Amino acid sequence: MFSLENITNTTHTWLNQTFSPTLALLTEFLIVGVLVIGLFAVLGLVLVFMERKVSAVMQIRLGPNRVGPMGIFQTLADTLKLVMKEGLTPNGADKFLFNLAPFVVMITAMLILAPIAFAKGFQMWDINIGVLYVSAISSISVIGILMAGWASNNKYSLLGAMRSGAQIVSYELSAGLAVLSIVILSGSLSISDIIASQQNGWWIFKGHIPAIIAFVIFIIAVTAETNRAPFDLAEAESELTAGFHTEYSGMKFALFFLAEYVNIFIVCAIGATLFFGGWMPFHIGSWTAFNNIMDYIPSSIWFFGKTFFLIFLIMWFRWTFPRLRIDQLLNLEWKYLLPISMFNLLLMTFVAIMGWYF
Amino acid sequence: MLTSAFYFIAFVTIFFAIMVVVSKNPIHSVLYLVLTFFCISANYIFMLDATFVGMVNVIVYAGAIMVLFLYVLMMMNLNAIAEQKRSVLFKISAAVTGGMLLLVLVAALKDANLQIQGSALEAEQRIGSIKVLGYVLYSKYQLPFEVASILFLVAMIGAVVLGKKDNSTKTIGIEPVK
Amino acid sequence: MNEALLLMKPELIVTVIIFILLILHVARENSSPAYLLNLINGLLFINFLCGFFFNREGTLFGDMYVTNGLIVLEKNILNLGMLLISLQATDWLKKKDFIVEFYVLLLTTLLGMFFMLSSNNLLMFYLGLELSSIPLAALANFELEKRKSSEAAMKFIMSSAFSSGLLLFGISMLYGTTGTLNFAQLAMLIDGNPLQLFSFILLLAGFGFKISAVPFHLWTADVYEGSPVAVTSYLSVISKGAILFVMASVLFTVFKPLVETWYNMLYLLAVLTMIIGNLFAIRQQNLKRFLAFSSIAQVGFILIGMSGSSQEATASVIYFVLIYVFSNLGAFGVIALVSAQTGKEEIDDYKGFYLSNPMLALVMTLSLFSLAGIPPTAGFFGKFFLLMAGAGKGNFVLITIAALNMVISLYYYLRIVKVMFMEKNETPMEKLQISLFPRISLLTCMAGIILIGFTTLLYDYIFSLSTSF
Repeated sequence: MFSLENITNTTHTWLNQTFSPTLALLTEFLIVGVLVIGLFAVLGLVLVFMERKVSAVMQIRLGPNRVGPMGIFQTLADTLKLVMKEGLTPNGADKFLFNLAPFVVMITAMLILAPIAFAKGFQMWDINIGVLYVSAISSISVIGILMAGWASNNKYSLLGAMRSGAQIVSYELSAGLAVLSIVILSGSLSISDIIASQQNGWWIFKGHIPAIIAFVIFIIAVTAETNRAPFDLAEAESELTAGFHTEYSGMKFALFFLAEYVNIFIVCAIGATLFFGGWMPFHIGSWTAFNNIMDYIPSSIWFFGKTFFLIFLIMWFRWTFPRLRIDQLLNLEWKYLLPISMFNLLLMTFVAIMGWYF
Repeated sequence: MLTSAFYFIAFVTIFFAIMVVVSKNPIHSVLYLVLTFFCISANYIFMLDATFVGMVNVIVYAGAIMVLFLYVLMMMNLNAIAEQKRSVLFKISAAVTGGMLLLVLVAALKDANLQIQGSALEAEQRIGSIKVLGYVLYSKYQLPFEVASILFLVAMIGAVVLGKKDNSTKTIGIEPVK
Repeated sequence: MNEALLLMKPELIVTVIIFILLILHVARENSSPAYLLNLINGLLFINFLCGFFFNREGTLFGDMYVTNGLIVLEKNILNLGMLLISLQATDWLKKKDFIVEFYVLLLTTLLGMFFMLSSNNLLMFYLGLELSSIPLAALANFELEKRKSSEAAMKFIMSSAFSSGLLLFGISMLYGTTGTLNFAQLAMLIDGNPLQLFSFILLLAGFGFKISAVPFHLWTADVYEGSPVAVTSYLSVISKGAILFVMASVLFTVFKPLVETWYNMLYLLAVLTMIIGNLFAIRQQNLKRFLAFSSIAQVGFILIGMSGSSQEATASVIYFVLIYVFSNLGAFGVIALVSAQTGKEEIDDYKGFYLSNPMLALVMTLSLFSLAGIPPTAGFFGKFFLLMAGAGKGNFVLITIAALNMVISLYYYLRIVKVMFMEKNETPMEKLQISLFPRISLLTCMAGIILIGFTTLLYDYIFSLSTSF
């Protein structure tokens, strides 16, 4: 049967037989690096295309349909255009930081991929505090955005960056608390343990009410954290031109654009892992026959299926909700989401102690 | 291997720390400070095997506190020109004082009783693991933990009070003071 | 369980008061200031009374919390000071919007001091210290519209952050060489190697900042001048008193093996503090700045007593702080009244004060006499016991310097008295209203100043509680 785990294992053994362990390790690093960059490129192309098609369906129009069949090469053409454009650096900008910022944002996005399990046994680094690692690194990306906004020497950019900073820092809290409630249920911070604990059912079903509340809070919070509409104040077109990346053009702009979509993928992957069992197929308790049938579908398909479902959900938000004002945004977090998620955490602890989950 | 890694990380940490002080632009200083915190976290993770502490260090310092620093600095729009010039005498005296402190510290460290120091590290070796940490935090260090949370609550109340405007004094300002 | 509750009684009562205030604030947003002040002062009075009953000795939370008769007494002294300050501040607070917040912040600092006094572990000590100093920065800025107040808060938080940094640096090095933070274990493990000496110096510098001993005193005058009077009196009496108590216990237990070393350091600090505090106090024009320098000079005397390092030393420090609470709060009570009703704080404004407000002028005079140490006020006995404890070491140069400084201090304390009684003023202050609460507070202070001097019972009681060195 097709399995990513076998491929990695055979590659690993072959490399270790052929080369010295150090060289084998370095080669594996290289392969992983190439794969991550490849994944990023593919994700960028697919997600941008998906967003345009989804928005078109929502607004009852056709969307891109000229380049290639159904317009599937449209994003490729856009990328080509961006690559060929001149990368301008505005006068009076802090050149070093201005050029560094897109890479900071991109590298943090790459780092977060490390503990994510894409399929059974297909994980780069099974760090024992995986969930904490994810929230630690994701809090760094705001520094890249602030850097970009400040270094552009443009008031719109600065305003956009400030808004984005306030937004990310505040919504990180409720996202973190939502994640914590799953950690309480599974009793581990490691991603592989969390997935393994969903062997007999996903947490969103097993943890019933508090898990569902946590999931809703998580989705809202991560939408805000990735600066997506209806929380896209950081780049509100009608107010701030394009927010923190107003001054960016060419490939550097493309990096920001790519990072946005990759971040969506990452948060959805985390959400899928925590609440929908990651690569774990749809299992119901002790229905062995049913579970075995489900196991025939490869784990990578389960993982990507769940992730893309969540991505679709977030895109759906974007094209149906109007944008919030900055005060509404902060009120929503500090006066509603945070108290609710704190209470939910308490409830979840209670449920976990009493053993009221399946 | 571990020793050379330590020397490398320590060197990088000190280099960034010096850059924090040396850079003319406050924003650059803060960004170097972020890098310094990263290096310190790396030290926790690789040297002491304390992944949890290292990650929390990143979340709290690099992720939260430094972002607020950046925020304030960007809002105030400080730049290199705004920094006031200091006299040469001031610089020399500061260098002499700092140098003397370094000298005394190095001399004191040289004669320190390293055996006791070793045993102290030994006793708390497993502190890095999150299970041990959680257990210790809620048993031995329960009271300090609670007091620390009161401290944060009060700091928040204080900040909110300072942020509010006192309405009563405003009306007094309009009326002639008796 | 019951026993644990009784052990932590002072902290628990303060916590309960804080919660009552917070809940009350949420539930009844528009309570009238008079109602709130009556309620709060009542609660503080109950808190003070509770300090005398059901006291237990013991430890809790492993080694984190310890209490005994001496610590309970110290907490009672702080409770008393808190109550007196609260009574004096009523006139000023009536005009303010944020009464509840003011008391929540103030009570948390008190809570922090209690934890600090009961700490048996450097970690707990540090946390208590922070809890007792960070809210004070917000309180120093309580005159929200005044720039001076903001300046005071900024200077206070900077200096307290810096001194906390020094303390932490010292604590971490101490931990590095001994591997423990427990007071008793530290005392056994300290052997005077250079790194421990270095960390001790850092700790002492941290303490020096908090008690504003020269040369760590530079923030004091500005902060005292800029803060509201209630906060200034709190800083100079309660905050300083608590840290002096803790400093005595840390020096006498943890650093007992290093006594030869720190005797010389305290000697130097005491001499510098007295001389500089006195010399600067002479030339002050603002009454709050004046009292700031006078309190610096008083710290110098306390350090002499502390350098005695004996049972008498502990007893005399606590005894003096108790007297200092009464005498300093007497003076601050008058200043608080004048400042709340007229806004005047300069020494020249007090010209002819006796003619318009004879009672207040008398209170002020008695307090200043007590601060100067003129018999038969309590201040004389306080200083007498301090010097006796200091003389126990047989260093009579130190005692001579202290005596000379007492003479200098007489000059400037009497200068204020002269201004109030003898000088003429074209625009004299009108007759001030003294409402009930400040009246009670001032009367208590007067009673304390006069009565404590005439009875030795109190000193004997404190002496019996103090542990021998």
